[in-house]
Amino acid sequence: MFQLADFSVSFGTATALRRATLDIRQGDRLGIVGESGSGKTMLALALMGMAPDAAKIGGRLTIDGQDMTHASERTWQQMRARRVAMIFQEPMSALNPLRRIGDTMMEPLIVHEGLSRAQAQARVLALFEEVGIPDPAARLRMFPHELSGGQRQRVLIALALACNPALLIADEPTTALDANVALRITDLLVRLARERGMALVFITHDLAAVARTTKDIVVMYGGDMIERGPTAQVLAAPAHPYTQGLLAARPDPTVPPRDATGKRRRLPTLPGTVPPLAALPQGCRFSGRCSVELPQCAGTRPTDHAVDPDRSAACHLLGAAP
Amino acid sequence: MTAPLLDARNLTRRYRLPRTSLLHPAPVLTAVDNTSFTISAGETLGVVGESGSGKSTIARMVMAFETPDAGEVLFQGQNLHALSPYELRLQRQKFQMVFQDPFGSLDPRRTVGWSIAEPMRAIGADGDTARRTAEALEQVGLPARDADKYPHEFSGGQRQRIAIARAIVTRPALLVADEAVSALDVSVQAQILNLLMDLQDDLGLGILFISHDLAVVASICDQILVMQHGKPLESGPAAQVLRSPAHAYTQTLLKAAGVST
Amino acid sequence: MTRRLPVNFILGAVLVALVVGTAALSLVWTPHDATQMAISNKFAAPSATHWLGTDQLGRDVLSQLMAGARNSMAVALVAVLLGGSVGVALGLLASALGGWVEDGVMRLADLGFAFPALLFAIMLAAVFGPSLTNAVLAIAFINIPVFARVTRGAANQVWTLDYVLAARAAGMNRFAISRDHILPNIAAAIIVQATIEFAVAILAEAALSYLGLGAQPPASSWGRLLSEAQTLMYIAPQLAIYPGLCIVVAVVGFGLLGDGLRDMSDPRLSRER
Repeated sequence: MFQLADFSVSFGTATALRRATLDIRQGDRLGIVGESGSGKTMLALALMGMAPDAAKIGGRLTIDGQDMTHASERTWQQMRARRVAMIFQEPMSALNPLRRIGDTMMEPLIVHEGLSRAQAQARVLALFEEVGIPDPAARLRMFPHELSGGQRQRVLIALALACNPALLIADEPTTALDANVALRITDLLVRLARERGMALVFITHDLAAVARTTKDIVVMYGGDMIERGPTAQVLAAPAHPYTQGLLAARPDPTVPPRDATGKRRRLPTLPGTVPPLAALPQGCRFSGRCSVELPQCAGTRPTDHAVDPDRSAACHLLGAAP
Repeated sequence: MTAPLLDARNLTRRYRLPRTSLLHPAPVLTAVDNTSFTISAGETLGVVGESGSGKSTIARMVMAFETPDAGEVLFQGQNLHALSPYELRLQRQKFQMVFQDPFGSLDPRRTVGWSIAEPMRAIGADGDTARRTAEALEQVGLPARDADKYPHEFSGGQRQRIAIARAIVTRPALLVADEAVSALDVSVQAQILNLLMDLQDDLGLGILFISHDLAVVASICDQILVMQHGKPLESGPAAQVLRSPAHAYTQTLLKAAGVST
Repeated sequence: MTRRLPVNFILGAVLVALVVGTAALSLVWTPHDATQMAISNKFAAPSATHWLGTDQLGRDVLSQLMAGARNSMAVALVAVLLGGSVGVALGLLASALGGWVEDGVMRLADLGFAFPALLFAIMLAAVFGPSLTNAVLAIAFINIPVFARVTRGAANQVWTLDYVLAARAAGMNRFAISRDHILPNIAAAIIVQATIEFAVAILAEAALSYLGLGAQPPASSWGRLLSEAQTLMYIAPQLAIYPGLCIVVAVVGFGLLGDGLRDMSDPRLSRER
């Protein structure tokens, strides 16, 4: 349905997204994992046709076979909500604080789908029911500030689902939420994707959340897609040194903080920090921080090497191995 | 047995909420309810809970930014909230704080060196301020020449190092870290956590480490206190709380923190 | 990336530069002595020697306008500096101490707002006699509540930030924090307000001088020129039009400059542009 081929987004000399290739099919649940500056949010915006005006776009983006790479804002408006919808990190700022929930919810149905008020209200109530909002009729009359963070995120999910999109993009939907609320929201996203046969792109830096939510995963670093494959396999045995480092740096609650002699265990770390976009190395984006660097890493961009039939990683080490 | 560095006894803090009706008295929110804990020198206590659990209110009471409605905070045997404002200001050099937001905790108009030296100026220390600032920068893994730069020239992780340098420049006995790594990328988080452990080993710091992330707490804390809705749910040695959580809520937090499904 | 300057800032800056430049020039040079009378040459039309002609006493109009600019600027500057300093100090104090001090200062500011400046100037003139000093004091007085309110609002925002909490944790007292952190971080807002108040002060000075409560002869000011010219409106309307235009240019210039500065200091506005 959604296809990115060698898709790039750049600002002057800074490349936010470099030659991204991605296929999203019906029913996919795809996790995009990366730290700040990895390009994961730019990818989401590109899929929504919302890349900033100043950005230079290269490569190709097709939706249902239609070339959308340089589509007009008008074409995108047709596409958004119906084919692809998005939910954001901060559920409070995404809702107009001065409008009742019901009015915010019904507007796109009345405008886009030409429903009457009564029809729209019936549809909204059904959606609220579907996303597990208790007492939906009462919520319609409420203002955003009267809802909890979790309820607001559910409202936004319902809003995104209003026009039955084929793809739902969730950009850090659980980051602002408390742990047990976040668990329920990820469960909800999985259930909705299954029941509706909808594709889900789940963008996050939270490895625990992506493990619970997605079937497949793409790891991003510095605007490159550096590793991809089934979520469970990638997290269990990462192939790219960056993915390995990222997983190792994540504290494991089952390891006691002090060893047998009472000395504190240090966490394995990735050295340095993500360089600013304009200062990224030309070759492998991770070169300079990598623990197993080869001479060609800094200058030559590594291509995808198959790890398993359905897994690959962009690393020179994998190409060098027999 | 020696007295603990920090002894918080039966802390309670209530907030009056805005009135919802003219006829009823203003509702009262109990942010922290009858919570006690101790921290010894060289030991880390992790307070875990989510927003609204009262963990940040605890930090504010320990830092004496807020006065508890009941209970007391004994720091080195002294009741912090019974001190005069002047005595309290002099004591502050011994307990310092690292904040969550590495972008908001440094004055954008002041050089890094100026900010780091602030706690020393507050107690009227002079003379070796520049040397101590340079020393603090090196202790957190930054070059001493960074003192002349401004906060916007640094990444989030580096700023958090600077904030830690400011917190240790007066060689305090207690460090309060409120969500100190939550705003950082995973790979940077581990660096900062390791830094806190190094400093604790070198300086014998007691640390009050507040976080919503049980995995982070587990990696650095000796003792854990789990809070929910202002109430202490369970507490004990970290290994014990993590291995056999007594409370369903702690199990939820563990599940949210785990990578394995 | 270069950020484009807002149009109102550029236009305001040009007008202000013109007015301030003229006032500054008058300190060292005017075409003629502004007070030099020559009855034989009254109401002269513009010429090579008198670019804007002469008035009812044969004084050079351009020279008078330039000298007037100097006085108007000086009054506005002193009044805004004086009122601004007191207002900023009160605002900082209110914000730092909070509680009843803050309430008290803000209620006083409300009182000040409610009190017409002209009335206060007339009172001062009635008690101490009309003078430029009393005009300055009156304009300064009306500026106090304006600056107190702006300062306290901006300062209260900064007080909630983590670096202020960190300064408290460091053991700094509230006055040191106000000096080290609050004031530098609200300076932009205060400068914007001062620029706008400068425009208001020029207008207030003109009004007071027009009523005879400001600059006294032989000192010149735009308001005085206007007041002298009003009786001659039918004989020599240009004598009223020139100072009127000067006041408009100065007020609009400082107003635009203040707006432009505010636009530039508010990142939300600059992003929307």
